[in-house]
Amino acid sequence: MERTRRSSPTTPPSEYDKGESEDFSALRRLLLSPEQVQLDRLRQRLDTFVVGPQEVSRVLPDAIRLRAQQDNRLLASMLPITQEALALSIKQSPQLISDSIAPILGSAIRKAISRAMREMFQSLNQTLEYSMSWQGLQWRWEAWKTGRPFVEVVVLHTLRFRVEQVFLIHKKTGLLLNHVMAEGISSQGEAAISGMLTAIQDFVRDSFQQRQDEGLESLRIGDLTVWIEQGSRAILATVIRGTPPVKLRDFLQHTLESLHAQYSDSLQNFQGDAAVFLETRPHLEDCLQAQFVKKQKGLPVGFWVLSALLLALLGWWAYQASLNHQQWTELLKRIEAEPGIVVTTIQEEGGRTVFHGLRDPLAVDPERLLEEVGYPPHAAGFHFEPFIALTPEMIRKRAVTVLQPPESVEVSIEGSRIILMGESSHGWISRVAQSALAIPGVSEISLERLIDTDVKQYEALRNALEGQAIFFLEGQGRLPDGELGKIQQVKHILQELDKEAMKLGRNPSIDVMGYSSPAGSQTINVSLSERRANKVLEILSEPPFQVLKLSAVGKGVDPDVKTGSGEGLEYSVSRRVSFKVVEPVVTQRREVGARIGP
Amino acid sequence: MIQKKICMLGGFAVGKTSLVKRLVSGMFSEKYLTTVGVKIDQKSLSVRGQDLLLVLWDLYGDDDFQKVRASYLQGSSGYILVIDGTRKETVEVAGKLHELARKTIGPVPFVLLLNKHDLVDEWVVECPMVSDLKDQACLVSMVSAKTGEGVEAAFFALSEAMLKS
Repeated sequence: MERTRRSSPTTPPSEYDKGESEDFSALRRLLLSPEQVQLDRLRQRLDTFVVGPQEVSRVLPDAIRLRAQQDNRLLASMLPITQEALALSIKQSPQLISDSIAPILGSAIRKAISRAMREMFQSLNQTLEYSMSWQGLQWRWEAWKTGRPFVEVVVLHTLRFRVEQVFLIHKKTGLLLNHVMAEGISSQGEAAISGMLTAIQDFVRDSFQQRQDEGLESLRIGDLTVWIEQGSRAILATVIRGTPPVKLRDFLQHTLESLHAQYSDSLQNFQGDAAVFLETRPHLEDCLQAQFVKKQKGLPVGFWVLSALLLALLGWWAYQASLNHQQWTELLKRIEAEPGIVVTTIQEEGGRTVFHGLRDPLAVDPERLLEEVGYPPHAAGFHFEPFIALTPEMIRKRAVTVLQPPESVEVSIEGSRIILMGESSHGWISRVAQSALAIPGVSEISLERLIDTDVKQYEALRNALEGQAIFFLEGQGRLPDGELGKIQQVKHILQELDKEAMKLGRNPSIDVMGYSSPAGSQTINVSLSERRANKVLEILSEPPFQVLKLSAVGKGVDPDVKTGSGEGLEYSVSRRVSFKVVEPVVTQRREVGARIGP
Repeated sequence: MIQKKICMLGGFAVGKTSLVKRLVSGMFSEKYLTTVGVKIDQKSLSVRGQDLLLVLWDLYGDDDFQKVRASYLQGSSGYILVIDGTRKETVEVAGKLHELARKTIGPVPFVLLLNKHDLVDEWVVECPMVSDLKDQACLVSMVSAKTGEGVEAAFFALSEAMLKS
């Protein structure tokens, strides 16, 4: 069997073998009949093989995956179809596409806005925080001087570090794959900068004969540092202001490794089209880190309390010093202006200021001046010698003290002359001249405008008396009853006149003059007028007066009275008794405006 | 936007920097040329509807004091070989630099520029001298950095060639 099975497919059949072959075929049919049927079916199927959808659907996913691993041909073949299909889909049902990409775009937009807002608030916070402080004012000055925006100056001063730019560079060509910048940073010629960074690395590498995988790691220019992370196909260069922490370097290296893993093929096959690397932007933006100096939040409360107390103390001291100075100035002014006080020296004695000089006893008390200006009494003292001041103010003061004029009299001084004005009693006026001339500094007294109230009264009474008349009936020497009241009135005037005359030192005589009408003979008329005068004198003489001397005179017919027809008022007036005050001749004692003393 | 790195190659004082200046106003100082040996500028172009950013590596002119650093050539998509038409020795330098470029970056497109065409009366370089280079270049042009003649066209030609390759 073994031998037969091995030789049967290759050995051609002979005559001998023919019968054997038929036997063998029969045997085979008997033994392998079911398998033979299956083989025939398979042969038929292979001959008429057509790949159906079911077969393709089974192998398609694996086939695509395997092919994509080999090369990009499948991708290239599918690209135009995919693009067309996508375009058609957008055209036919834009809502579907919109709904599909909304979650991705929404998230990306939110992230971008959040980042922008964060940066804006950080910038705003810093600006506000420093805008009103002393430091802020200094920085405002710097901003004004340098012409830079205030925000930029604040950022520069408060920055610990900030990654300002990130370059993703293709290592072999030096071409820029992608580039991001922090807000507020302006840059141009990124492609040229990228090339220059590569050239400098090549230069350093060549100059110091370093290996290709080694390169410049850091550049430092003033406040700027450029960190260069080396990858096998790409370089990540970051421009950093300030002093970055070491952990940032780890982060950058990790980012570069991650980009290498994600874009391995693109980096390897890069021919100048950097479109595919636009997707690296979020990774690069994550590298735009910054850290600011935290402003010291306030000083201890004790410091502020102490400062406030010191300020209050300083303020109080300044106020007191100012007040003290003000009071001192006012005191000096008042003392200098005060009549009767002459300050010769001012000295500090035993912790207080002592004024030395002269003081008229009638001058104001200096202690009162202290009270009036509010100067502390314990801080000032006075040592004044008495003297007599001859200033007009002091002369007047002294005159008022010595003369004690009534309120109705006004005293004024002109040089060495005292002028008295107003009304006063005869008694005060008669004393004032001698007293005034005894006052130091007074050599003259003027009484021109001084009215004697007693003289005035005396004159008024005299006029009143001389205006009185007692009338009689015709031919009678007897006093009619109706004139008795008038007699009492005359008596009262005489009493008052007597008092005033005594005050004035006068001794006037009162003539009681009787008159008669022209009727009758002159002898009878004279006799009748004497009777009438004596009758009135008799009534008026009791009680007697102190200084007045009354005497009766019969005047006969009054030649001044016109009697006319002998009837009427004029005729009645002729029968009367009138009064006349007769002043004795006296020497005038008071001379108006006379020079009385030296 | 597609970026392409191109190098300016040529002997000392053949006018590479002046040619670049004709195209862009650079941001880096020329002192980099004598210190680092390279000055880099960038220029945006639109070639047949395709936006292109040329990153121009202006390499220090090869002379007795300083050699062109091969590392600077790495990654170039093309280069511009410049000869001074009034100095014969610059042809030889160009040949050497071409060889260096071929060795370093392979057969990338390049243009051959015969500069100082404004001084054509003083020219000493003749066509046979540059025949080898001429055959390989995608463009040979007589240019003048002084007048600007042919400069922009040369950069366009190289850009087109690079995009095709």
